[in-house]
Amino acid sequence: MPLIANDLKRTMLAKPARGQAFGHHGELVQGVFEDEHGHLHRGLVTLPIDSLRSTAWFAVDESGDIDVEPRGRDKALRAAQLALAHLGYPSLGGRLKVESDIPVGHGYGSSTADVVASMRAVAAALGARLLPSTSSRLAVAAEVASDAIAFETEALLFAQREGVVLEHFGGSLPPFVLVGFKGEAAAGIDTLELVPARYSSEEIQLFRVLRGMVARAVRYQDTRLLGQAATMSARISQRHLPKPYFDVVVDIASHYQALGIQVAHSGSLFGLMLDAQSASREKIHPIIAALEGRRFHDIGIFPINVEERTHVL
Amino acid sequence: MSFDVDYFRALETPRLARLGPNVVAAAFPLMKLMPARFILDQAEKSGELKVGAHIVETTSGTFGMAVALLAAARGFRLTLVTAASLIDQTYQERLERLGAKVVALADKRGDGNQTGRLAHLRAVMENEPDAFWTRQYDSPGNWQSYARLAELFVRSMGQVDWLVGCIGTGGSLCGTGTFLRQVYPHLQIAAVDTHRSVLFGQPLGKRMLRGLGNSVLPANVRHHLVDEVHWVGAYAAYHSAHSLFRNQGIFMGPTSGAAALVGEWIGRTNPGSVVAVIMPDEGHRHANTVYDDRWLAALPGWPCAPVCEPEILVAIEPRDEWEWTRFEWSRRLLEDVPRPVGIS
Repeated sequence: MPLIANDLKRTMLAKPARGQAFGHHGELVQGVFEDEHGHLHRGLVTLPIDSLRSTAWFAVDESGDIDVEPRGRDKALRAAQLALAHLGYPSLGGRLKVESDIPVGHGYGSSTADVVASMRAVAAALGARLLPSTSSRLAVAAEVASDAIAFETEALLFAQREGVVLEHFGGSLPPFVLVGFKGEAAAGIDTLELVPARYSSEEIQLFRVLRGMVARAVRYQDTRLLGQAATMSARISQRHLPKPYFDVVVDIASHYQALGIQVAHSGSLFGLMLDAQSASREKIHPIIAALEGRRFHDIGIFPINVEERTHVL
Repeated sequence: MSFDVDYFRALETPRLARLGPNVVAAAFPLMKLMPARFILDQAEKSGELKVGAHIVETTSGTFGMAVALLAAARGFRLTLVTAASLIDQTYQERLERLGAKVVALADKRGDGNQTGRLAHLRAVMENEPDAFWTRQYDSPGNWQSYARLAELFVRSMGQVDWLVGCIGTGGSLCGTGTFLRQVYPHLQIAAVDTHRSVLFGQPLGKRMLRGLGNSVLPANVRHHLVDEVHWVGAYAAYHSAHSLFRNQGIFMGPTSGAAALVGEWIGRTNPGSVVAVIMPDEGHRHANTVYDDRWLAALPGWPCAPVCEPEILVAIEPRDEWEWTRFEWSRRLLEDVPRPVGIS
């Protein structure tokens, strides 16, 4: 247990409660999409990685303020305050501790995961539970921009600036193995500093098709179709926020018959999507060697919605 | 109160019909609503189309009906310029009942007098700077609106290998094809045209099959997207429309019959491929013609036997109305394809 409970200034109401949230590997698709009234919203389909997690503990007390450890996790602190207020206890305080195995500033969604884990810990400490839609809305309030990580592995089209769901795809993403990597010395990227892409009218129309492909891919668990949609989204992103070495990634993907190329649209992550059935150790090793040969780094293997994961690890 | 209800969005959405084990057709009640709604929405958003403004367009077909429905519901004035040879009394009265002004120009050559219609329209535009021309022939909104159809095909069929559709303005086939080919680069596109339409290099002449082909070349026709061209004669299209109705209960117009004929054949000859077909209109407008035995009996050369496969053309040439021809276009530009002798 990471909390010290002998602080005399605080009156402990309960034992520390725990909350967890996943990291992600950027987006499968990101663009501009219509809602049911014909209005356009920026939206994305997050690629959650359930092996990267942030864990938060919260011990509630009556001090009225919140201590956070490590210090400086201000978004997590703000999230805990919002969660307390939302649950009807704005005057309570407590101790929040956040531990995460998600690397910071690499586009893995570490800050959103901290925020969502913190809110869940607060809710658990009060014997409550937050719906994903509530967590998302509060996460947007704590973070300004966010992703759909509060929905865990539920596939959906999420308007990241409003924190609302544009379309529930009605299931999880189809299974695949992701080989993730970075193309440049990974300077931390602040996603809020980036100027949002100005898509053309043709591109906005093309996003409709990508949305349809993801819907179909989830409904029929069709990874190939999901890969085609992700690749197209990466290509569109390349016109607005070009990543160095994208062409090299395209060549490697084609040479090793990847089902698709996935990117963090406002980060430095790339991913090759491989068929889960045939992604053996023997198949993945040459891909890793090829990526290393072209100086890609931080290579990781992430099974996505795969039951048997030992075959690649 | 909030309802997700939009009558015209629903009306522009096709019903999907299976025409073969690997062939799905989008059967539209009124396909042209898709570009008409998109073009008006964009123009209203950008401020180009002002409240109560005057909309103008040259059309003899269903695009006019689509704009007329929207103009009536949204409070715009509308003038449609057409040719006397192309519009029937009932259709004109229906448009006028919707509040549209229909200008039917004389058409001595019987080719639709598109040149005269465009000249008339430009004159209106010069007199009224605030008038809005929907420009279905060259507005990017025409082809871009068909992303909705591409999305619908993708949601219901997943990967598509062949796209088959009629070509008149180029909007539906080239629009749907542009979007689908970006995500499926291997997609093959078959354009369905008719004899004596100039779109794919045939010499201009009187076309019997209404609503298919063109006597001028709209900018929205993107020849380099097209893998093969099929020229379907009017009688072959009538037979196919009859067969769709009699054998499958699908009541469509003859241009849809032409698309179905080609789509079914491509499905049979490519059994491993998924084929999507666009069928643009219903049969009601043709109840007293294509679906009337007395009208048919008066046609020269009718009845004739239906054709079940196209004749492969080595050189582009017009044929009789019962004939169906096919030509490997191979994604070429119009100027790169050899024309019939004597045609420039």
